[in-house]
Amino acid sequence: MQTHQHTITALVQNESGTLNRLVSLFRRRAFSLSSLNAGDCEQEGLSRLTIVVNGDENTLRQCVRQLEKLIDVVEVDDLPKDEAVQRELALIKVATNAEKRREVLDISQAMHCEVVHLGLEDMTLQMSATPSRINSLILLLQPYGVLQVVRSGLVAIRVEG
Amino acid sequence: MAGLLGPLEKESMEKRNGASIVMEALVNHNVEVIFGYPGGVVLPLYDEMLNWPQVRHVLVRHEQCAAHMADGYARASGRVGVCLATSGPGATNLVTGIATAMMDSVPMVVITGQVNSWAIGTDAFQETDIQGITIPITKHNYLVTNVDDLPHALSEAFYLASTGRKGPVLVDIPKDVFQALSEADFPTEIHRRGYQHHVPIVPDKLTRAAALLNSAKKPVVIAGAGVIWSESSEELLELIEKANLPVINSLLGLGSIPREHPQALGMMGMHGEVAGTMAVQEADLVIGIGIRFDDRLTGKVAGFAPKANIIHFDIDKTEFSKVLTTTVIVPGDLKESLPAFTAEVETTSHPEWWTQIRGWQTDFPLVVPDTEGLLARHVLHTLNAVTESDAIISTDVGQHQMWTAQFYRFKRPFQWLSSGGLGTMGYGFPAAMGAVFAQPEKEVWAVVGDGGFQMTLQELQTAVENRLNIRICLVNNGYLGMVRQWQEMFYDNRYSHVEMGSPDYGKLADAYGVHFFRCSTRADLDATFEKARACQGPVLCEFIVEMEENVFPMVSAGAANNNIVMDPSLPKSTAGVH
Repeated sequence: MQTHQHTITALVQNESGTLNRLVSLFRRRAFSLSSLNAGDCEQEGLSRLTIVVNGDENTLRQCVRQLEKLIDVVEVDDLPKDEAVQRELALIKVATNAEKRREVLDISQAMHCEVVHLGLEDMTLQMSATPSRINSLILLLQPYGVLQVVRSGLVAIRVEG
Repeated sequence: MAGLLGPLEKESMEKRNGASIVMEALVNHNVEVIFGYPGGVVLPLYDEMLNWPQVRHVLVRHEQCAAHMADGYARASGRVGVCLATSGPGATNLVTGIATAMMDSVPMVVITGQVNSWAIGTDAFQETDIQGITIPITKHNYLVTNVDDLPHALSEAFYLASTGRKGPVLVDIPKDVFQALSEADFPTEIHRRGYQHHVPIVPDKLTRAAALLNSAKKPVVIAGAGVIWSESSEELLELIEKANLPVINSLLGLGSIPREHPQALGMMGMHGEVAGTMAVQEADLVIGIGIRFDDRLTGKVAGFAPKANIIHFDIDKTEFSKVLTTTVIVPGDLKESLPAFTAEVETTSHPEWWTQIRGWQTDFPLVVPDTEGLLARHVLHTLNAVTESDAIISTDVGQHQMWTAQFYRFKRPFQWLSSGGLGTMGYGFPAAMGAVFAQPEKEVWAVVGDGGFQMTLQELQTAVENRLNIRICLVNNGYLGMVRQWQEMFYDNRYSHVEMGSPDYGKLADAYGVHFFRCSTRADLDATFEKARACQGPVLCEFIVEMEENVFPMVSAGAANNNIVMDPSLPKSTAGVH
């Protein structure tokens, strides 16, 4: 079967060992985890996770069922691509000097980034976009010297298709 | 007004410490016996225990055995088994026993002590992260750092262990939580968001499954331990009698249908009976009921039941399509799904199919060779005869386990205790002790090999102290028999570290003060069993058997189930002692 990348969200109880249990499941059952993001959500005491997993349909089905089986998982949603908004936040520190600053700012503007810090020797950009657009930005910045990249991992929400 | 009543009510509620809450939880859940071992951080609990004579504490000699005893107690009764250990090494010694229970879905509550909550993370004396360690081998676990959370955590632990697909639940309790006072009450009911303790049946799936069965020419049922844990044996019988279905068991499914039932074909798989294994290979429909298609059962998956549609009944949906692709999945509690299924199934008889199956049974019976020397098979065949298939039987892992599965004609659920999934050597003896506590009026035998017995025989002292009517059938062939068999068959007879020396078991029995009988001839078999059965208190029977006896039939690991190897030393239709 063909391997795809799937985005799953999971609503979980926030208890001792919860995150450990979730991550342990991926390792233990050899599911290929490519990104995991956890944060507070609209319900007190619960967290919502966005998980990106690689695998064929059967692996994904197993993954969802195994997640649902965990006692502290309240619900799991396998998001279809066309019914989800997906975003990732990236902070990218790029080497700049007076000479190149204008060029980098042009790229930043064209890519709808925000300049969150401007230094003498470097500049830090913030981008909120799909992972592939962030990849494009990094590619564009590489000629100037990408000093550090910090990415949040994907967050996703289900919307009407 | 409420403001006035509130504090008054609170005053009338008694504060008690965490240790007392633990004992209260045990009493609330009708726990009559716990298996444990004291230590530093559980001192407050052991002190409190003295005030609760209604809960019997059994002092083991190694914590692993406390877990196996709790497991044996559960498997012999269907009730939750409880074990207890201190932090650090006490807790880690439980790990094999917890993993054993997890693999076989045994309901168990495990209580461990932890270092003081304020010392967690400092590498304090006897600190270990038992919650982290047991995440993959428990159904769920808790670290309770606030005494007010303790009643709820303990109630939930019993609830989770005993509902849905059962399993071990661990509650880790720091020393200061045992000591802290609380007036928190036990919940009157447990509601856990996202936990489906009741899995509803899906009528569409049942209808599809029934249509498949009603049009099948060669249907078979494979019944597993799910039938036993859900207490659905009667429901299974109604189904298979209505549609005249042959029933094959997984190793742990033995007892879900009486072995003497004319439609029962015994165990299938790696060392299963030929008729059952062949019936699955030839079937056009396989109905798996409460099984998880373990590799010892399926053989090479691509060659399993190659002509069959597969229907899978289970309460745990993660088992569906985990190992193989099924035609119809039927989620739900067997207690509900089986009767609903039976109602849609037509009465049939499948005479031609049965003729074929009876042919395999006649051509390939299980054979006990009529040799002069004493074989393990003679021992187990006789054990079955003298106990009239009615004893509770526990085993270790290896050849003796497979021969017991083949030759003991189990009558009912909760009669057969064996580590099927994890394959834990040393399980048999302590698990049988747990069974004696659960069913004191029943005859209980631990069938063990010389390898496994030497892993946990220190519990002889526990058996003596508790005057347990436990009978040990030690099958001594001087080898790790199953490993030796594989070395003989697959490693060109190169025996590597499988010779197993033993102490003089007679002297050992003397030292512990247990009855002892040794038997090395066929002529003495009946008399040995007779003497052992007449004893009160623990009995050790050592049977010195032929050293290089092999278990057949056999499907090699990784081979498809149609490659059944028969005992090469026997002509096809050898007359055995059957």
